[in-house]
Amino acid sequence: MHTNEHTQKAETFIVPIGPQHPALREPGHFEFTIEGEIVTAASVRLGYAHRGIEKGTESRNWVQNLYMLERICGICSHIHATAYCLGVEQLAGVEAPPRAQAIREMVAELERTHSHLLWLGEAAHEAGFETLFMYAWRDRETVMDILEALTGNRVNYSANLLGGVKYDVTGEQASKIEQGLDYLEERTRHYLDVVTSDPVFIQRTRGIGVMTAVQADRLGVVGPTARASGVVRDVRVEAPYAAYTAFPITPVLAQAGDLEARFVVRLRELFESYGVIRRILANLPPGELVLKRMPRRIKAGEAISRVEAPRGELFYFIRSNGSDTPDRVKVRTPTLCNMASVLTLTVGRHLADVPMILVGIDPCFSCNDRGLVLKRGADHEHWTWDRLRQIGLDYYAGERGSGGVGGTSISPAPLPPCPPALLTGMHV
Amino acid sequence: MISDLTTLLFFPGGLSMLLAGMAFTWLDRKLLARLQNRLGPRWFQPLADMVKLLAKEEVVPAGVNRLLFVGLPVVALAGALTAVLYIPLWGLPPAASFPGDLVVTVYLLSLLTLCTGLAGANSGGRFSLLGATRTLTQLFAYEAPFLMALMGPALVAGSWQIALITAGINGRWLLFTQPIGFLVALIGLMGKLEMPPFDAPEAETEIVAGALTEYSGRGLALFYLGRSVEMVLGLTLVAAFYLGGLSNPVAFLLKTLGLLLFIAIVQSLMARLRIDQTVGLWWRYGALLVLLQWLVLWGGRWL
Repeated sequence: MHTNEHTQKAETFIVPIGPQHPALREPGHFEFTIEGEIVTAASVRLGYAHRGIEKGTESRNWVQNLYMLERICGICSHIHATAYCLGVEQLAGVEAPPRAQAIREMVAELERTHSHLLWLGEAAHEAGFETLFMYAWRDRETVMDILEALTGNRVNYSANLLGGVKYDVTGEQASKIEQGLDYLEERTRHYLDVVTSDPVFIQRTRGIGVMTAVQADRLGVVGPTARASGVVRDVRVEAPYAAYTAFPITPVLAQAGDLEARFVVRLRELFESYGVIRRILANLPPGELVLKRMPRRIKAGEAISRVEAPRGELFYFIRSNGSDTPDRVKVRTPTLCNMASVLTLTVGRHLADVPMILVGIDPCFSCNDRGLVLKRGADHEHWTWDRLRQIGLDYYAGERGSGGVGGTSISPAPLPPCPPALLTGMHV
Repeated sequence: MISDLTTLLFFPGGLSMLLAGMAFTWLDRKLLARLQNRLGPRWFQPLADMVKLLAKEEVVPAGVNRLLFVGLPVVALAGALTAVLYIPLWGLPPAASFPGDLVVTVYLLSLLTLCTGLAGANSGGRFSLLGATRTLTQLFAYEAPFLMALMGPALVAGSWQIALITAGINGRWLLFTQPIGFLVALIGLMGKLEMPPFDAPEAETEIVAGALTEYSGRGLALFYLGRSVEMVLGLTLVAAFYLGGLSNPVAFLLKTLGLLLFIAIVQSLMARLRIDQTVGLWWRYGALLVLLQWLVLWGGRWL
């Protein structure tokens, strides 16, 4: 996707990180050229966790897709379902009732809380600060318990329906959530204090991976990564969806643009989330949870749905041809937008800062992997679906020997098998 | 002859030392875990790890010097076990002693780090090489301040012989008269054992397992054992030098465990330092502060 080729020396020392590496929770491949301890060039290859979900949506109906798209990400599952529901509702020309919208927003903010606390632990672990890691994840259990009490699930909450939500909030649950939030607020204040005052930790974060507002704008970063560089980029504010008009949030900004700012922004965002959840609980609009009637076939048309996932802007493009299945669903997750910043910011830094800078964008590889570009030298032709299918069949036939797949292997090698080295770059 | 063999193989060297090392490792891991709000390992976990590792196949990477690859862990453990003889374990007088054995002991304790570095350089993998570079860089960072910190009590006792130093201290707690030396010695020991925050040489999120990345089975077990033994030796040395010299074994064990608790707390409090930060810390503060301590000691003599 992006390669800085500074080094032409023969004795370049490349540190491969991934696809299997303790710093990565998911498969991705980075190559860092280093001199001593300093990174001089960086490149990335994504696509290891491509699951064919977009293609999969085309063979499932509108309702079934809700459950599959929710499984794109294990951490921000609710926001994917929300983006999809909002898009489909837009296509169908309906709108979920206000109570449902408010509950959508509340679950989304609870999810953000869980995601940011998870990230805090993860980032502390990359810095070798195991104690903070363990404590952050212990406290994250509080919000997981809240989500479980609310929806019955800790991870894939399935709170959304086309045209509404599945779960209501009872008074008992509301008081339990309030209690949990009080505890979390106190803990978050403590963590904010730790990351801004612990001298050893600050040595690893302050002034490291600095991205100016101009750079952030040029690299097109989104979410907390952009906001830590002083760029106001928050879909909740720019284009309010769900109930964000009735229950607005204030975007949290920091100007420093370094790793410390990314910690501060994410932690201060938690206070925003706690505040808005409290306001929603206190002023939950009355009414239905779900529309009386949601069409099974969606009118032909195209819709774009943007929401603010914990990591930044999540983008859905949905096209319907009037049938009960989508014609095309396109998902762009925030990690993709932020990945280029990692490559830019790591060059010139210590190797020890690399995992920190990488985790600073809160990467989520499998959410991000949509497919691969097959590059063969100067061959830039567009391949048809049939040709691509044939390449795939031949590739696996070559791997399994002469047997072939379903007898489709006609000649020994109509196209040479495509070794992984040729699968470079990444296609959105 | 039989008594010499017993000394070497059972007590205080050899088997008892390996068991003590594993016990201390367990306690360190357990304390750290409890401080980090985790459950931590069961009491026999280090033993179980050793049994498992020793029983496993040792994979030797292609293209390495096989003799070095297999031999280095043995040398590392042997170095640590030899140092046992000169150290007043459990508050008892050392099993062997000669003038200048302090320097030899410190050298023997460094052997483990040296062997780890060589093992990493020999393995040929990229993570191993980086780990080896960092291990050796760190050795040059903490070794001099560590040795200088151990020389403080030697200056007081006017001897380079561990037995004479502990006798010369004669129950005085140098911790109170030489607090800087005490801290530098203890923190230097953490650097030697590559404990957080000095675990850059084996930072798993950057270079997997550092110098020992390619090691498995027996070699890894021996390196781990060497490190465990060295932890006991280092803590004993600091306790003997700074916490009142020789005393009855129970009191001495308690002092050693107190030091272990201290390093467990320090480990749990800090994030990992980058290797350049580690070097900077030792030379900018560690070495200078110990020098200051020396000047105070010398000044005190003339008063």
